[in-house]
Amino acid sequence: MIASIFASRILNDLLGGITAGVVIGLVALSLVLIWQSTHVLNFAQGAMAMFATYIGMTQLDHHLNYWVCALISVAAGFVLGGATERVLVRPLYGKADINPIVVMVGFLSLLEAIAAAIWSGTPRFIDPPFSSIFFQSDGAPTGLSPFALFQIIAAISVMAATALLFRFTKLGLQLRASALAPEVARLLGVRVNRLLTLGWALSTAVGAVAAVIISTGDTGLYPANMETVFIAGFIAAAIGGLESPGGALLAGVVIGVVMQFVNDYFNSGYAGFVGVILLIVSLLIRPQGLFTKNAQRRV
Amino acid sequence: MIGVQNLSVSFGAVQALRGVSFQAQTGSITAVLGANGAGKTTLLRTISGLIKPASGDVTFDEKTITNEPTEDIARMGVAHVPEGRGVIAEFTVEENLRLGALASKVNIAEGLERQYAQFPVLGQRRKQFAATLSGGERQMLAMGRALIANPKVLLLDEPSLGLAPLVTAELMGTIKQLCAEQSLTVLLVEQNAKSALRIADHAVVLHVGAVVADDAAAAVAADTRLRQYYLGLNEQ
Amino acid sequence: MNFLRQNTTTRRLVVTVSSIVALMGLTFVVPPITNSTLTRGAAIVIAILGLNFLTGWSGQVSIGHAGFMAFGAFGTAILLKHFSSLPIAATMLLATALSALAGLLVGIPATRLSGPYLAGMTLAFGAAVPPLIQNLSSLTGGPAGLQLETIPTAPSWLRSLRHDTTSLITVNAQWLAMFSLLVVGVAVMLMSNLHASRTGRAMRLVRDNDVAAELVGLNLPRTRVLAFTISAAYAGLAGSLMAFTKGSVSPQDFLVGLSITILSLMVLGGIGTISGAILGGVIYAYSDNFLSWLTNSTGIDPYSNLGSNLKTIFFGGLLIVTMLTAPRGISGLISKVFAKVRTSR
Ligand SMILES: Nc1ncnc2c1ncn2[C@@H]1O[C@H](COP(=O)(O)OP(=O)(O)O)[C@@H](O)[C@H]1O
Ligand SMILES: [Mg+2]
Repeated sequence: MIASIFASRILNDLLGGITAGVVIGLVALSLVLIWQSTHVLNFAQGAMAMFATYIGMTQLDHHLNYWVCALISVAAGFVLGGATERVLVRPLYGKADINPIVVMVGFLSLLEAIAAAIWSGTPRFIDPPFSSIFFQSDGAPTGLSPFALFQIIAAISVMAATALLFRFTKLGLQLRASALAPEVARLLGVRVNRLLTLGWALSTAVGAVAAVIISTGDTGLYPANMETVFIAGFIAAAIGGLESPGGALLAGVVIGVVMQFVNDYFNSGYAGFVGVILLIVSLLIRPQGLFTKNAQRRV
Repeated sequence: MIGVQNLSVSFGAVQALRGVSFQAQTGSITAVLGANGAGKTTLLRTISGLIKPASGDVTFDEKTITNEPTEDIARMGVAHVPEGRGVIAEFTVEENLRLGALASKVNIAEGLERQYAQFPVLGQRRKQFAATLSGGERQMLAMGRALIANPKVLLLDEPSLGLAPLVTAELMGTIKQLCAEQSLTVLLVEQNAKSALRIADHAVVLHVGAVVADDAAAAVAADTRLRQYYLGLNEQ
Repeated sequence: MNFLRQNTTTRRLVVTVSSIVALMGLTFVVPPITNSTLTRGAAIVIAILGLNFLTGWSGQVSIGHAGFMAFGAFGTAILLKHFSSLPIAATMLLATALSALAGLLVGIPATRLSGPYLAGMTLAFGAAVPPLIQNLSSLTGGPAGLQLETIPTAPSWLRSLRHDTTSLITVNAQWLAMFSLLVVGVAVMLMSNLHASRTGRAMRLVRDNDVAAELVGLNLPRTRVLAFTISAAYAGLAGSLMAFTKGSVSPQDFLVGLSITILSLMVLGGIGTISGAILGGVIYAYSDNFLSWLTNSTGIDPYSNLGSNLKTIFFGGLLIVTMLTAPRGISGLISKVFAKVRTSR
């Protein structure tokens, strides 16, 4: 009896952790996409995704369907990402590391403040399109709800689609070439500048998918609602290796599960610190990231 | 036909090119020779728009392309195989070749077949990562990738660098053959003057950024003074 | 040569001491609100000096300095709770040391990173500190934080110097300003010596060129850890001064927003310069006045959504524009103007 309650609690945490983890993985993927193409760590990524989600989800006020609003959010992310690359990031290529960091940190606080100015800081709750009541198994909740299942499937689909795009399409080949060897790509007629813009647009659209998922349900949509998951996503990306999308996803799930267990068995106040410690330990073991193949990385 | 008129390029205080002018004729090989640091790489990079000159012009078939972006120059049919070959090591052989074809209108499958016929070793290794290729194979991959888009002009920056003499001889033969078959305009930058002069129709010699000779390849090869002072070729 | 160096050290000392003395003189005549403004800016100057040491002089960036400030502030409050008889200077030094220790622990793994990785890690650290403090409530007072057991109050000599009619609040505000000025003076003095020292030169070498630094035989990791530790110590001192002058500490005072504010002020003032840090502190101290002027003159309701976020919008935008157009900040602009004036003459 006791054992079964215990087992059910572990299962609950595991499933809850995976649900949170795939979203962390999405955020990490979005960071990796930008890092690979432009070697900028986008500190404003969470805020940009949040802002795009506001643009889409406030259309619920005009009686638009949830899915239409979600689509608008992702499209807004795409446009915002591309515009950001053109206006803010392009002048920074080739500058010292600190310049893009400072600009993106400034953009982060600017976007959060603008969102609060337009839509107020009070959370806005968005009804999930599927029930968020846990499935039952033998009369006990499983830690997995229809909405959570949707969340997992959506996140994995986005990641798979991104991987396919990069691996098997002409566009993907050009995107990878622009990231790996921009000068060679230009000599072959690839319009590298456009592709960098597209890279930012795609990445921010992926981030917006994560933000839509996070804002739906009990967390709510508010200007700072991506901060925690952004940090977790960064940690996942750094642990998995900023060069490795698959590694980022896996690390995201691991972090999601670990934090869920910390929340449940200790205290949610420690989750952030556990994340930092995970990051430190993994960097000490393997500074190039746990899942990168090539040993050399410019850190 | 591709040419430069009065081309000058500076990097800060260093003047890499000083009023360089010459023409490379269609269907011929023009060797660009000179010691290390003479400005050969700078010349090719300026032609393909990677470097913008302080003054002077680059012309391609009577059209001034000095201020065109690199991508557009490439799309006009100027293929540049950079120093060090520029093969993308993380890509497979076939991905490298595909990349070369994407910006042009050629049919990719046909283009691949053509290059595999020209360079059979690439066909054998099509699924291998370029990182696993030898120096000679990489040079072939770089050339195949440039040729797949059916360019009119081929800029080659020290293709023989790091290759064994036999491989170099074979490579030079291929360049000569391709130039004739496809009536390419080839600009062949080399420090290895001997090999280059063997296949070139015309030769330009650069010395600290200035042209010191611009003549038929045979005439340059026969000029004792040039051989001794600028080309490092001993009389033996 | 040696004489010259000594000479510049002496000159620095004279300049700093005389400006601090002059400012202290001013505290007698300015209204109490100006003294409070001075006090508020002082702690920020020290925090910026610390971040500056890391960023400006070693090329690393931290977006988590508020975390180190929290160590200094809570260290101070906790020490006062348990050892209230400790002299203020000793409490400050111990709190600073605590923060330096935290900096050392974060700095060791951080040496394996550079640029964006390091910035991301400091962000994760800075964001993790406030929730941690909230959950160690038996030690830290939880979400409400702690009231300080003792705060600096004006000594009798100062009270007797002022007119009898001057209220105690006014004299205390003046005393806190004098106290803050003293701490800032010491911090600036130490920093400018550090800048001129072998270590300071080593840091700049690390910033400008990793390879050159290795070539001259610098121990890179150790230099980086040292930079991180010193930087965290300054942040801790700033936190401690903040605790003393506010009289209370709360985890809400040390959110990531403060780290971003410090970073912004450093960039606005001018990265890598002491004058930039001081300018940053002045901007911080007067930002609320500027904001009320802005809301007044534009007619924006300061309590509206827009009004309450105007400050962040303004400074966020200014930060981006500064980095894109004048990355060396105000002090960079000033020295540019001076250079122009000099050459045109
Ligand atoms: N990016 C650059 N920055 C500064 N100087 C350069 C740069 N590229 C080339 N140079 C200088 O220009 C001159 C010509 O170089 P280069 O064109 O590479 O010569 P070559 O290819 O004939 O060996 C050399 O003195 C070289 O040092
Ligand atoms: Mg060269």
